Amino acid sequence: MEIVSLNQISPDQVIIWSWSFIVINATILYTWLVMAILVVGSWFITRHLSSEMNVSRWQHFLEVIISIIRGEISEMTKKGADHYVPLVGTLFLFICMSNVLVVVPGFVAPTSSMTTTAALATCVFIAVPFYGISRNGLFHYVREYFQPNFIFFPFHVMGELSRTLALTVRLFGNIMSHEKVVGILLAVTPFLFPVVMQILGLLIGVIQAYIFAILSMVYIASALSAEDEVHHTETNKEGVSA
Amino acid sequence: MHIDWFVFLAQIFNFLLLMYLLKRFLYGRIIKAMDDREAKIASRFAEAEDLKVKANEEAELYEKRNRMLHEKKEIMLNEATMAADAKRKELMEKVRTDVDAVKARWQDMLVREQDAFFYDLRQRAAKQLYATARKALADLADVELEERIVDEFIRRVKALDEEKSVQIRKAISGGGNKVIIQSAFGIAEPRQAQIEEALKKQITNGFTIRYLKQPDIVSGIELRVNGHKIAWSLNEYLEALVESLTETLQKEAHTT
Repeated sequence: MEIVSLNQISPDQVIIWSWSFIVINATILYTWLVMAILVVGSWFITRHLSSEMNVSRWQHFLEVIISIIRGEISEMTKKGADHYVPLVGTLFLFICMSNVLVVVPGFVAPTSSMTTTAALATCVFIAVPFYGISRNGLFHYVREYFQPNFIFFPFHVMGELSRTLALTVRLFGNIMSHEKVVGILLAVTPFLFPVVMQILGLLIGVIQAYIFAILSMVYIASALSAEDEVHHTETNKEGVSA
Repeated sequence: MHIDWFVFLAQIFNFLLLMYLLKRFLYGRIIKAMDDREAKIASRFAEAEDLKVKANEEAELYEKRNRMLHEKKEIMLNEATMAADAKRKELMEKVRTDVDAVKARWQDMLVREQDAFFYDLRQRAAKQLYATARKALADLADVELEERIVDEFIRRVKALDEEKSVQIRKAISGGGNKVIIQSAFGIAEPRQAQIEEALKKQITNGFTIRYLKQPDIVSGIELRVNGHKIAWSLNEYLEALVESLTETLQKEAHTT
């Protein structure tokens, strides 16, 4: 059964239930499904965690994933990695799970909806100044937009918006286009070729999840490091003048 | 591309909710478990390091005690050796003293035995000489030896000089006027009368004579009175014979 037909570009268009402006479409439904799998799975595995040397396989699996995420974040922020794990980790796990579940017949990735990718990119767009300000204060963060001088302010703002848009479109475009390509290939080619494309799709899905999470962290880290650089420069100046 | 703003906001809410739930059920717990494990491992390492340090200290202490024990053993061994040497010397000294004492006792005993031997020899020689002389006198002169001894005794009494006579006289009067004449043989009555007459004539009157037979006086006769005596016996000759014999025996002993 085709949930999203080929002529429908996004699962947003599959309305399941609506009342007034409240709409429950396929995107939200599958998002809830992914959320349920992640949350229930996490709860189930972490019910009896052990801090001893002998741990269960699933705990090992989750520890490996979390360790990799922490490691990647640590490489960029140098310190306080645990502070960013919930945002970056959730981005990666949600997108990765959404993309991987595409292999399940009938499942439509929420990430093939631009509404979802835009929402995620917006979260990153808000998180960058949130972490920047919470780390170094509002003044230092805003001043960064006027570096090296005020003329660059519009460019900084455009940069912020454009990279958010880039995050949105990159993920949406990749996943949506892949689904469409597989759908078209199913119609026109033998059965084996779409299977290969599905495998390729898994790879692309995981890579896209990685790219989205890493880019998010890069944006946050660049804001943090820029603040750090300003902070260091001021400290050095104070040191010289003293 | 149409974006439904309700769905957009709903997805933001969904994402934030997911973030919260995962933070609560996944990251927090997993990170805590990992941190706890790391802390435990670190504490175990620290504990192991402490134990290692403690073990090293124990080993050093043991080594030190061992060294001290060894030194103490050496000292004790030296002391024991010295004590043993001293004890050995003391025992050697004691043994030497004991040996000397035994040797002295042995020599003493030897001397006593020698004396006893010579005494016995003298007795035997005297008896033999007496027997031989009496037999010789009896055979040759046909005169009893005892008679000749009594004659000699009487001759000696008569030959006393004045000074000796006075001394004996005083001794007789100091000894209660009693004279004892001892002889190895019995003296016949006529001979006793001769002796008494000679004494009275040469020394004094007014004393009583008591005759005793004393085999120890070898072939002789003697007058004893208060520390003085007039005597004749074979002892004089025998003593000369014994002296000569002793010298000969000692020379023999030295040569052997």
